[in-house]
Amino acid sequence: MKFKIGLIAVFFSAMVLIGCLPSAPGGGGGGERKITVYGFSIMKESLQKEIFPAFAAKWRAEHNGEEVKFESSFAGSETVTNQILQGVPADVGIFSIERDVDRLIQAGHVPNDWYVTPQKGIVNKTPFVIIVRKGNPQGIADFADLGKEGVKLIHPDPVSSGGAQWSILAIYGSELRKSEAETGKRDETRALNTLKAIWKNVIATPGSAREARTQFELGQGDALVTYELEALLMKDANAPIDVVVPKATIFSEHPVAIIDRNVTPDERPVVEAFRNFLWSDEAQKAFVKNHFRSVTNESFNDANPQFAKIEMPFTVEYFGGWKKAYPDVIEKVFRDQVQKK
Amino acid sequence: MSANLSNIRHTHGLDVVKPLSITTLILVMMPLVLLPLASIFIFGTSSGLRSFWNALTAPEAVFALQLSIVTSFWATVFNVVFGLFAAYVLTKYNFWGRNALIVTISLPTAIPTAVAGFALLLLWGPYGILGRFLDPHGIHLMFTAAAIILANIFVTFPLAFGVIKPVFDTMNQSLEEASATMGATRWQTFWHVTLPSLRGAILSGALLTFARAVGEFGSTILVSGNLAGRTQTAPLYIFAKFNEGQVEAANAIAIVLALFSFLIFSVLFLARDWLEAE
Amino acid sequence: MKDNIQTNQAAVSVEGVSKKFGAAVVLDDINFSVLEGETLVLLGASGSGKTTILRIIAGLETPDSGRVILHGKDVTELPARARGVGVIFQNYALFPKMTVEGNIGYGLRLRGRPKSDIAEIVNTLIELTHLEEHRRKHPSQLSGGQQQRVAIARALAYNPEVLLFDEPFGALDAQIRTRLRREIRALLREIKVPSIFITHDQEEALELGDRIAVLNQGRLEQIGTPYNVYNKPATEFVATFLGAANLLLGIVNENRFEAEDIFLKIEPDPKIRDGQSVKLVFRPEDVFLRRPENLTQNYQPLVDGIVEEVNFVGAFERVVVRLNISTRPPILVTRPKSETTVFPLEPGVKVPVGLVRFRILPNYTLASERAARVI
Repeated sequence: MKFKIGLIAVFFSAMVLIGCLPSAPGGGGGGERKITVYGFSIMKESLQKEIFPAFAAKWRAEHNGEEVKFESSFAGSETVTNQILQGVPADVGIFSIERDVDRLIQAGHVPNDWYVTPQKGIVNKTPFVIIVRKGNPQGIADFADLGKEGVKLIHPDPVSSGGAQWSILAIYGSELRKSEAETGKRDETRALNTLKAIWKNVIATPGSAREARTQFELGQGDALVTYELEALLMKDANAPIDVVVPKATIFSEHPVAIIDRNVTPDERPVVEAFRNFLWSDEAQKAFVKNHFRSVTNESFNDANPQFAKIEMPFTVEYFGGWKKAYPDVIEKVFRDQVQKK
Repeated sequence: MSANLSNIRHTHGLDVVKPLSITTLILVMMPLVLLPLASIFIFGTSSGLRSFWNALTAPEAVFALQLSIVTSFWATVFNVVFGLFAAYVLTKYNFWGRNALIVTISLPTAIPTAVAGFALLLLWGPYGILGRFLDPHGIHLMFTAAAIILANIFVTFPLAFGVIKPVFDTMNQSLEEASATMGATRWQTFWHVTLPSLRGAILSGALLTFARAVGEFGSTILVSGNLAGRTQTAPLYIFAKFNEGQVEAANAIAIVLALFSFLIFSVLFLARDWLEAE
Repeated sequence: MKDNIQTNQAAVSVEGVSKKFGAAVVLDDINFSVLEGETLVLLGASGSGKTTILRIIAGLETPDSGRVILHGKDVTELPARARGVGVIFQNYALFPKMTVEGNIGYGLRLRGRPKSDIAEIVNTLIELTHLEEHRRKHPSQLSGGQQQRVAIARALAYNPEVLLFDEPFGALDAQIRTRLRREIRALLREIKVPSIFITHDQEEALELGDRIAVLNQGRLEQIGTPYNVYNKPATEFVATFLGAANLLLGIVNENRFEAEDIFLKIEPDPKIRDGQSVKLVFRPEDVFLRRPENLTQNYQPLVDGIVEEVNFVGAFERVVVRLNISTRPPILVTRPKSETTVFPLEPGVKVPVGLVRFRILPNYTLASERAARVI
């Protein structure tokens, strides 16, 4: 009996010991600053491996050794936006699509004059490509081939993923661009039919581009439309894949925004310094190293020999910017005609 | 023919049904539970113990595990104490609305955990019904460890109560009366007579709650903010790593959670007998 | 002055206690007391209110009116824990997670007594109740009788004002029941603690009680020694509840009981006037079925009867006799073995019927009469 009580006491005191909240890894010490970054899924490697340490070193050097600590969370761009709208304590958000920043502006989280930031807020870009299994068994050469009978496609969900919306714009725009080159006219019917044919082959719609890649890596599907960056990261990891570069494809451009609401005046200098740092040569070169393409200086991109040559590149401007592209293509074409049958 | 059949049924030597039913049991469990669990372990050790160990000792992984254990611990403490209290009140007193309360306590069982998550957000979030009044005062519950504890409390609310209440129901009321006539105050009676009979139920209620809270995902991902190293619990870490394609890292923590659960239910199984024995 | 002495002598006094549950009257003006060292049995059917009286004395129930006095102290307003009574519950209510020693010492621990004192008292009680081999066992490892002894020892540990036994043998089978009854009887004689038993078993009541209080529907029908309650029942209920009784309806006329062809001389009774409807009550063993030759007892002939049935039931013989007039219900007679061998009977035989003991009770058929009666 005494023995049992003793054991129970030991058990409970052990539980109380671990009952204190753990301290964050590498934490401790006063006089440090903290920046909380919420990013869309594929930003993770370049930020965590290069940009965060580089900025921390720069800040330390310029501010008497003051430490900057980063906390970060990564998910589909729309998910990140919704989290911020619900009030997560993000200081900086990096999104896949500009539309997400628009939503934050509308909700008052980001000021209206966001567009006056350098590069209109865009920090980097990457073209959309097709990933297939090693040897390309289904002979896929361009987007249109994804609509062939029997091809199984993994495509992220446009509801939660910015990458998915880019992918839709890439496919749809690619057909418009090619038809324009061939006939001088944008053939919207051809573009719509191609998109419909491809969507029929979609077997899974994961929540983010990164989730889509993981599912593809675990052996699901024959093909995946995604950022070039993802394809190159997979190649770096010696994944058994081939990259198919479409003749015409879109460059996705990724905006950054300071979440005003969560930034105290005290924190603002360091947060702004971090945002501006993203356009520094150091950061842009780091992005290139991690397979994003620079938006400040095209010559930086020559440093990465793995970047593909795109014959007919275009951007969201081809549709008249996100303000038109979202309602015209994502809503009126994709949602109303492709998804709803 | 019918004679043969009845002969078989009444065989005393070999009972065919026994090995047959046990085999069926295992065969059904194989693809549903045993093999998926086994594959976690097979995959986890396939690239060597070293990479398993590295995945396990990554600072964010360690933090995620600690955070899970700590938040689950507090949720367990709360729910066991509350469950005990609720079971006591609802057994001892009969009042209008008593059954409604019992049903309400059990309600979280049927509510999807994601709903639990956004329900908490709708209440305590910076724009929530109550949260919007707290936010200007710098009181933030959501996207902190407190949010994870709240979510854990919500989803595991009925568990401890559900285990403790039936023991109260079957407990002989005359035990408490006997204690009172012998000179005990209510508190002494509760401490010396009621509580000892509940030891087993409390332990299993606590372990059930804890096991369930450690594995909680749906509500946590909504209310925690999922910040690695700050509000990312073990299941969120697994999910994040899986999404990033780092299946090994995800798997290492999954193994820990699986072992953890195994441990908890072993304790549940053994300690219950041990505590009840007498 | 005399009253005061009586109150001081009484260990327990229940004065004018009434209790209602909703509209139902459970107890109606109950008065009795238990003397020091005395054992009182509250006898009644289920629903008679006997358990409620016990619970009111223990403090587990509050009366609507009336007082409970323990050794001269009014405890009506005190909670159960402050009364110091010992209750032996029907199922013993031993604490399952405590050993025998733990159970017995519980009341002392609650009173903060020093450990050495507790050990000494527990030892004494364990010896008294012969539980030496079981001191470290838990209740679930004990037999019913052993559990009961633990329950008694547990209540005795803190010198209770009174011991209250709630149907203590209810859960036991007949043989063990008889044995335990004797054990408890012996124990109570030894310790001399005032005790109140409640039971529905008349045999138990007769054997255990120094006095018996018979309860019927919340009213105390009679209180007295087992001999008096059995042989001189005050009411028809008491007569029929304690053992079998034959009833004959008649009237009183000039110190005679008259019922058609039956005439019986009776003692004058101031409570009964001439012409009043009464019942003649007599027990089966008080009937004689032969001429009273050599009878030293007080014998009165009743009338002739015809034997209808003769049943041998072990220690005695049960005879059904129809008294003369065929519309009259037959009476039951029991005869001891000695009688049956000397004077055998068989159905159809005509026998003279006589009584050695009987009671005349007023015949209350109307509720209003019953309520208005004076005991």
